[in-house]
Amino acid sequence: MLEINNLKSRIGDTEILRGLSLSVNAGEVHAIMGPNGSGKSTLAQVIAGHDDYVVTGGEVTFMGKNLLDLEPEERAREGIFLGFQYPVEIPGVNNAYLLKAAVNAKRKHQGLGEVDAFEFLKVAREKMALLGMDPKFLNRGVNEGFSGGEKKRNEILQMAMLEPSLAILDETDSGLDIDALKAVAEGVNTLRAPDRAIVLVTHYQRLLDYIEPDFVHVLSEGQIIRSGDKSLALELEEKGYDWVREAANA
Amino acid sequence: MKQSALSIDDLREAVMRLPDDSLTATREAALASLDEQGFPSIRDEDWKYTDLSSAIDVSNRWLAQGAKTESTDALRKSIKAITASIDAHWLIVANGIVDLTCFGEPADIEVEKFSDSATPFVMDRPLADLNAALLHDGLRVQVHGATEKPLGVLLIDETSGGAGVTQANVDIEVAPGCDAEIIEYQVSSGSEDHYANSVIALQIDQAAHVSYVRIQNRRAGHIQTARLSVALSADARLNMASYDLGGGLVRNDVDIDINEAGADATFNGLFLAGDGQHIDNHTRVEHRVGPASSSQEYRGILNGRCRCVWNGKAIVHKGADGTDANQANHNLLLSDHAEIDAKPELEIYADDVKCSHGTTVGQLDETALFYLRSRGINKRQATQILTHAFAADLVARAPVATAKDAITALVEKRLGELIKEEDL
Repeated sequence: MLEINNLKSRIGDTEILRGLSLSVNAGEVHAIMGPNGSGKSTLAQVIAGHDDYVVTGGEVTFMGKNLLDLEPEERAREGIFLGFQYPVEIPGVNNAYLLKAAVNAKRKHQGLGEVDAFEFLKVAREKMALLGMDPKFLNRGVNEGFSGGEKKRNEILQMAMLEPSLAILDETDSGLDIDALKAVAEGVNTLRAPDRAIVLVTHYQRLLDYIEPDFVHVLSEGQIIRSGDKSLALELEEKGYDWVREAANA
Repeated sequence: MKQSALSIDDLREAVMRLPDDSLTATREAALASLDEQGFPSIRDEDWKYTDLSSAIDVSNRWLAQGAKTESTDALRKSIKAITASIDAHWLIVANGIVDLTCFGEPADIEVEKFSDSATPFVMDRPLADLNAALLHDGLRVQVHGATEKPLGVLLIDETSGGAGVTQANVDIEVAPGCDAEIIEYQVSSGSEDHYANSVIALQIDQAAHVSYVRIQNRRAGHIQTARLSVALSADARLNMASYDLGGGLVRNDVDIDINEAGADATFNGLFLAGDGQHIDNHTRVEHRVGPASSSQEYRGILNGRCRCVWNGKAIVHKGADGTDANQANHNLLLSDHAEIDAKPELEIYADDVKCSHGTTVGQLDETALFYLRSRGINKRQATQILTHAFAADLVARAPVATAKDAITALVEKRLGELIKEEDL
């Protein structure tokens, strides 16, 4: 589904991704771990198309298409979803309005008509109940005055409504207490599907207790230096990132 | 560049052609005063950002054509459309002529023409002089009680056959303890060149509350100078919101006089400007006594080649202790060619006061733009959504419910025009 080959990217004059390769297939859950500054968030932003990050080399294809040719909105409509580490507060834009505009943008791209307003609200409320969100959040400004946990749930709500083929969740666990973490993890788990891939970007192993990955990759200085199954995450937790780095350099 | 001068001889002829009635003496006095003072020029501190040369040129052309004002065939239709879109007791000044046909018979509002009134009106500023000199007739309104519909003041200009110049003058008093809703709607179309000059005075008596909306949607290129003077008595309250959408050269002066303790004036404004527009909002609050409060927030959205001015002045006089005055101005500049001159001014001569002011000028939040795009919303729509959100807050604050739908529709339409595909 997603093929990344020797990807290089910089922000300003700083090179962050230095030849990163990764292959993600439908139905898989990948965890990308690594110390601060290793390039985890950059990878997520580059895949979503943030133009602060300049791609200086390599290829990224998504379902056979050259992803780097597409605008951020085109990538989203093709089925890529980025769950933000810091979801943006947008006062004056109604949460339900954004959800509906996003759903309709994708439907239009697929050649479908606009979503039925009644049906849309019904589905949104169901998904919110699943995530333990109060329906009143639909009528608030996007993330406006939301707590950290509410913002992350709202990201998962958007993901649930948009039903992406590839979801990249950037530090979805950061700033969450254990109850919020469980609710978010449960939301993500219900979205696991044979035709959907999920990439979890995380600093800590904690999230992986609740969302079990098929593959774990360690990112360091802009490259994946080690890949393994979920046991790698546990090993990391125990031995720290230096251990992998030393092993990689040896 | 030297500002052109008004042809005062032509003006005198035009004044003399107006009906000989009870206003004649005032017109002549105003003419003499205008002759002496001249038009405001950019050398005056209050006018340094706004050059009225084009207003003088249009006036001179109109005077040279014999100061004739002919209405377009569509005028009645336009009036009908507006008065149908907002349910109110409409007082109309159409091409400078007062018209009471859409007023109805509200029990608690009394109206008389200046020409029938014993009370003289006094003007002392150049544009008010111009207004008084050329005024065909004005309206004096007294609101005695709560009315089921708002009071509407429609200043509409639709002339044909060359340049047009029109004056409107409305004087409103809201009686003690009354709640009143007022809608001021200034609109124009017709001939390419038009200059409309209006003076509205509003006296809010003791413990009376006024909700006031002002809509300005003039034809592109048209010139408007509009003065609104509000005087507040003890415990009187004003809640106002202005919406400037159209016009070429627009200058609004809002003067608020807090004359007695306990008064509160809240007045907000939204101005949307595109190519070729110059919108200048000058506000001035005089806190003569305390305790009393005033608060204003103006927001501007500018795109294309345009210039806007916001100048907010608050004067807290000696002894006006317990004054609380706040002013804010926030601007969204969507183009490199848009210019805003934002100038908050505080003059404080009392000791116990709370005053604040803040001004911001900026572009759309890039992070929010990317967030929306990452949800599949294209750049144009995302820009629109964020710009609308910036405006929506002020639309939500329109204090007259009856006018809200019309304001929402006008703002949406104008924003749609301002944010064009080719800009993005």
